[in-house]
Amino acid sequence: MNIEIIAQMVVSGALMGLVYALIAYGFQLTYATSKSINFGQGELVMLSAFFSLTLLNIGVPYWLMVPGGLLFGAALGLLVERAGVRLALQQKSEGWILLTIILGLLGFSSAENIWGRDDRPFPTPISSDALHVFGINITPLEISVAIGVFAIMGLVELFKRNTLLGKAFEAVSADRDAAELMGISATRTIMLSYGLSGMVAAMAGILISPITTVGPTMASALILKAFAVAVVAGLDSGFGVVLVGIVLGALESLTSFYIGSGWREAPGLVLLILALAVRPNGVFGKATIRKV
Amino acid sequence: MLKVENLHAGYGSSEVLNGVSLHVKPGQVVALIGANGAGKTTTMRAISGMIRPTSGSVLLDGKAAQGMGAARIARIGLAHAPEGRKVFGPLSVEDNLLLGAFSRLPHFFGFHRKAEEELQRVYELFPRLLERRGQAAGTLSGGEQQMLAIARALMAKPKVILLDEPSMGLAPVIVQEVFNIIRRLKDAGITLLLVEQFAKSALEVADYAYVMEHGQIAVEGTPAELNKNDRVLAAYLG
Repeated sequence: MNIEIIAQMVVSGALMGLVYALIAYGFQLTYATSKSINFGQGELVMLSAFFSLTLLNIGVPYWLMVPGGLLFGAALGLLVERAGVRLALQQKSEGWILLTIILGLLGFSSAENIWGRDDRPFPTPISSDALHVFGINITPLEISVAIGVFAIMGLVELFKRNTLLGKAFEAVSADRDAAELMGISATRTIMLSYGLSGMVAAMAGILISPITTVGPTMASALILKAFAVAVVAGLDSGFGVVLVGIVLGALESLTSFYIGSGWREAPGLVLLILALAVRPNGVFGKATIRKV
Repeated sequence: MLKVENLHAGYGSSEVLNGVSLHVKPGQVVALIGANGAGKTTTMRAISGMIRPTSGSVLLDGKAAQGMGAARIARIGLAHAPEGRKVFGPLSVEDNLLLGAFSRLPHFFGFHRKAEEELQRVYELFPRLLERRGQAAGTLSGGEQQMLAIARALMAKPKVILLDEPSMGLAPVIVQEVFNIIRRLKDAGITLLLVEQFAKSALEVADYAYVMEHGQIAVEGTPAELNKNDRVLAAYLG
């Protein structure tokens, strides 16, 4: 075993893991306000990537495409909330699970019809010529993924901590009834959380597309791993997802290198099963304390 | 200021309130007393929109408020400090206070500056909160959390404050402190509807009082009148 190969595997796996973490972070945002998540989040990633690619194809410059793609993702998030989640939450039912899956399927077929089934390359001005850092090959493109993940999470956290609306977001997460008594509309806050979650998903799509190409199924494996990360870290674990994402990404690439590429998906699933069996609230999650 | 007429409300199919009527005039402290399960807290919840009344009317400063959501009722000037205090545990004391004024403040930037004056006033009334302004509200003692719940309601500069069981679960010394605060709010001209288990203390600060039984107002009057009422004396003030 060569230490440099291991280091290389860990670094490139960890970068992939950051994308899982980013999508898992999007799950956390909506879970915080409404205890619901969008099971069609992978389709949001994919649709936003396709939309961003279309923007590039019609001649929009890369750095203008990014905010355009993010806005599109936010709009899709709002649509999921309005057309699915809200209907179920109003009746205090768990129907949002099925509704978000259905909306996801709808998004999937729309993408196939609009953009076709083929995987397409996603052009980027960021170079993929490897740099050598301490014997590890890393491309500026990979570094841009890490920067993008932390930038968007940092922005959302800044919003939550430094604006009154962000604090209201936290208030609804902490105690929905009490927040309503302050004049904070829980419905609007939940909308906001779905918008932010959609924006985060779009960012994941834009960051990962140049590496994986864009196609209708691009996010199906991604989303499963994001789920594993969200559940293993805990849906209320905050930045715990980053750590778990990095660990899972690194484990995956080590597994596929040393055991076989067919086993790439195994660590995520094993971790998911372990977490559900041993720590359903997640490694970093707060245990639910029921007060009588 | 607050006029409630023939209010009916309940949870699911079980009706808890069978026609409650009460009236809180501007600047008055009105007490709502009664046994456990009489419907005091449900009355508060139906007024503030936490539950939808099935019938009856709630007039806040002449405006019909029944049937609106809690958030909208809060925005037209009603602040409800609910039973169990319900402070935002993970947020700091000061963030809790700022959120109390949510509907009056800009939602993105400059909200702190705009709330400064009101914050000063509230900190003057509750120096303990000033000491703990940066601390997570969930780490405060029960008494401090109650102070915060009252202060948070004041931050909205509401027309009426509903105060539900402010003494619940507190040590006797702290209960005294809570009633001192209520007295000071009264002196400052704040309009208050107060639900209390400690009927005696409640009647000492109130201008007028209602006694609830089985989801209805059984007796009403000034504290002096209620103190002379044999039934009330025996049941609640004995």
